[in-house]
Amino acid sequence: MSLLELPSARDENWRWSDLSALPAILDRQPSGTVPEALPWIECTREGPRLLFVDGKLAAERSNLGTVEIGMVDADPADHALAKQIGREGWRLRLAQDHAPQGLVQIIHVSTGAADHLPAQIELDVDAQASVVETYVGEGWINRLAQIRLFKGARLMLSRRLLGAGGYVSITDRASVGEGASLTVTTLAAGGGDTRLDGRIVLAGLGAFAEAGGALLGRTKQRHDANLVIRHEQPSGMSRQVWRSVADQQATCSVAARVEVARGAQKTDGVQSLKGLLLARTASINAKPELEIFADDVKCAHGATVGELDRNALFYLASRGVPQPEAQALLTQAFVTDAIERIGEEAVREAFHANAVTWLGAA
Amino acid sequence: MTAPEDISVRNREAQEAVDRASTYEWGFSSDIEQEFAPKGLNEDTARFISAKKKEPQWMLDWRLKAFRKWKELQAPNWAKLNIAPIDYQDAFYYAEPKQKPTIASLDELDPEIRRTYEKLGIPIEEQKVLAGVEGARKVAVDAVFDSVSVATTFREELKRAGVIFLSISEAVREHPELVRKWLGKVVPIHDNYFATLNSAVFSDGTFVYIPEGVRCPMELSTYFRINAANTGQFERTLIIAEKGSYVSYLEGCTAPMRDENQLHAAVVELVALDDAEIKYSTVQNWYPGDAEGKGGIYNFVTKRALCQGKNSKVSWTQVETGSAVTWKYPSCVLAGENSVGEFYSVALTNNRQQADTGTKMIHLGKGSRSTIVSKGISAGRSDNTYRGLVRVGPTAENVRNYTQCDSLLLGDQCGAHTVPYIEVRNPTAQIEHEATTSKISDDQLFYAMSRGLSQEDAVALIVNGFAREVLQQLPMEFAVEAQKLLGISLEGSVG
Repeated sequence: MSLLELPSARDENWRWSDLSALPAILDRQPSGTVPEALPWIECTREGPRLLFVDGKLAAERSNLGTVEIGMVDADPADHALAKQIGREGWRLRLAQDHAPQGLVQIIHVSTGAADHLPAQIELDVDAQASVVETYVGEGWINRLAQIRLFKGARLMLSRRLLGAGGYVSITDRASVGEGASLTVTTLAAGGGDTRLDGRIVLAGLGAFAEAGGALLGRTKQRHDANLVIRHEQPSGMSRQVWRSVADQQATCSVAARVEVARGAQKTDGVQSLKGLLLARTASINAKPELEIFADDVKCAHGATVGELDRNALFYLASRGVPQPEAQALLTQAFVTDAIERIGEEAVREAFHANAVTWLGAA
Repeated sequence: MTAPEDISVRNREAQEAVDRASTYEWGFSSDIEQEFAPKGLNEDTARFISAKKKEPQWMLDWRLKAFRKWKELQAPNWAKLNIAPIDYQDAFYYAEPKQKPTIASLDELDPEIRRTYEKLGIPIEEQKVLAGVEGARKVAVDAVFDSVSVATTFREELKRAGVIFLSISEAVREHPELVRKWLGKVVPIHDNYFATLNSAVFSDGTFVYIPEGVRCPMELSTYFRINAANTGQFERTLIIAEKGSYVSYLEGCTAPMRDENQLHAAVVELVALDDAEIKYSTVQNWYPGDAEGKGGIYNFVTKRALCQGKNSKVSWTQVETGSAVTWKYPSCVLAGENSVGEFYSVALTNNRQQADTGTKMIHLGKGSRSTIVSKGISAGRSDNTYRGLVRVGPTAENVRNYTQCDSLLLGDQCGAHTVPYIEVRNPTAQIEHEATTSKISDDQLFYAMSRGLSQEDAVALIVNGFAREVLQQLPMEFAVEAQKLLGISLEGSVG
C-alpha cells in the first residue's frame, strides 16, 4: 500500500506540514515488540483500559468495560490522511445520564509501521465521560475520532503523544449539542512529528468547546495543529489555548480558526496562541483566524512569539536561582497554561510530569 | 438600555443610511474623445502600448517577457473573494484622451477633463494656488485619466529641489537609467498574476525620485480615474528615496458608475535607502457597484516597499471605501538594519462589496520594527477580510512587531474575517498580535445620543473614533476627505 497523493505545502491547509517521511513508514514492517511497562495512569477510579498494538486490540492486556469494538460510521474522504482509515475501531457510546466507571484509558503502541484506526464517541443526553489516549512507539499512528455530544453531555478528552519517533496524525470530527461541553487537550512531548486536525461544530444553543494543548519540539521535529471551531447556534462559547515550544531545528505550527455562522449571535470566542523559541534555528508559525458572519459576538484572539522574558529571568537570577533552572521554571509555567484545563487531577499531573520530563531532557 | 422596538427602528434607519450611501457621488462619466487600443489582450497589445509611449526597445522586451510569463500563470484563488470569471479579452487595455495634452498646468487642460476633476473635488489646493491664494499649502499633482497621465504640476519648483516627479512614460524616456535600475526590483515581473499582467500592459503612472538628503518641499499626489467603459487601468508607480530623503505621497482613485465590472491592476514599488522615509497614503474610492452588487471596480493591486537602507522607514496608510472587490496587500520588505515598516488601514465595505486586504511585513534586517493597525468595518451584505503576514528571518535579531486588527460589524448580514500569519525564525523577536470583533454597543450609542447627538451623528462619531488611529496618520487634505467618505457610508448604520 502506498499513499497515492499527499498534499504539498502549496495547499493552504498543509503549508507548514512536512509529510515526506510517511511513504517510507508505510513500507516498513512492524517489529511487534511491545514494551512491558506501559504509561497507564494510576487513578482512584479505574475504568476501561484498552491497548492497541499497531492498530489491533491486545485483548489480553485490555479491559474493555463500556467500550466496544465495532464499525465506526465516518466519512473522512476529504482529508488526505484520515481517508486511509478503515471502518472498524473502538466505540464509546453512553446512554442518557450515564457515566462510565472511572477514566477511560487507551494506549496506542506502534512498533514501527503504519496503522490506521477510527474511534467513535457518542454521549447521549447528560452523559459524561473522561478519556485519556496515550501514543507511544515510532511508526505512523493515524487516527480518526468521530465525536457526538447530545444535549448537556460532557466529554473531556486528553491526549499525550510520547512516541520516541515516527508520526502521529489525529483527525477529530465533533458535534456539540445544546448546553453540551467538549474539552480536548493535547500534549506533544515525544520525539516524533505530529499533525492534528480538528473540526468542532457547536451545533446546539449555548454549547461549549475548548480545544488546545502544548506542542513541544526539538531536533528536527515538526508539530502542526490545524483546528476549526464552528459556532452554528447562538450563545456558544469556545476557547482555544495553544502553547508551542521550539528548540534546536524544530518547527511548531498552529492554525486555529473560529467560525461564526450567520445568526450565531452572542457567540463568545477566544483564541490564545503563544510560541516560545528556545534556539535561533527553531521556528514558530501561528495563524489565529476569525471568520465572522454575525454582529453581536465577542471574538478576540491574541498571539505572541518570542523568547523567555528577560525581566522574569533577571528577577529569578536576582533571587539566586541558577539560569538553567530559571529557564526550566519559566518554560514549565508557559506550558502549564495549556494543560491545566484537564479536569482529572491524576491525568493533569501525569501530563505535567511528561512535560517536565521533556523539558528536562534537553 | 434599548428596547427591542428601538433596535428595529434603528435597523431601518441603518438600512436607509446604507441606501443613501449606495448612491455613488462620483459616478459621472465624462464624454471625452478617446483613443483606444484594439480590444483584447495579446502580444500586440503590449507592442501597441509601447509604441504609443515611444518606449525604448528594452522596455518593450520587458513587457513581452511579462506577457509570456502571465500566460503561464493562474489567477490566485486563496483570498476570501467570490469573483465571477474575468474575461481578459473583453477589455480595452489602453485608452487615451484624444487631444494629447502637453501642458504645464490644469488651466490648459481639456475643459471636460478639468470639469471632471472639479467634480471630483480634488485639486482644491492646486486651484487655490492658481488663484493666487496666499499661504495655500502646495501639493504637486499628477493626474492619470484612464491610461494617460494628463497633468503633472509644479514640475519646475520640484526640479529646483532636485526632485523628479514625472509620469512613468516620461520617466522611461527622460531617465531611463533610473527606471531601468529600479523597475521590477521590488515587485519582479513574475511576482503574481496581476502584477505580471500589469508589467505587460501598464499604461501610465507616476515616477518619483528624491535625491540624497532632500526633503521633498511639498506633498506629491496622484489622482487616478477610470473613465472609458470596458477599460482596465494598469498604472505603475515607482518611488525612490535616496539616502536621508523624505517624501509624502498621496493617491486617490475614483471611477464612474458602470454596469460592467472594470479592472484595475496596479503595481506600486517603493525603495527607501539609508535613513530615507516614504509616507504613502491612499484614499481609494473606486465605484463599488450598486446595492445589488452590479458593476464596480475589481481592484487587484500589488504594493510593496523595499526598506533597503539602514534606518529607512516606509509608512502605508490606506482608507479603502470603494471597489466591488479589493485584493490588496501593501507590504514592506524590511531588509535594512533598524528599518521600520508601518501599515495603517481602514477598510469599509457595504452592500455587496468584498475586501480582502492587509499587509506583509518581512523582517530581514537586524532591529527592524513594524506596526500594523487595521480597522475593518463591514455593513450591508459585504465581506471584509484582514489577511496579513509577519515573517521574521533567522538572521533578523531583535525584531519587534505589533499588530492590532479590529473589526466592527454593522448589521447581521455582513462578515468580518481575520487571517493573520505569523512565521518566526529567530528567538529574539517579539511579536504581538491582537484582534477584536465588535459592534457599536448600545451603551456607547445611548451615551452619545443623551448628549444631544442624532443617531446618525452618534454612529459617525463612534465609527470615526474606531478608525481614529488610522485617520490621524493621513495628511491633512486626505484626512478630511476620508472622514467625509466614512461619514457618507456609515451615518446611522447601527446593527
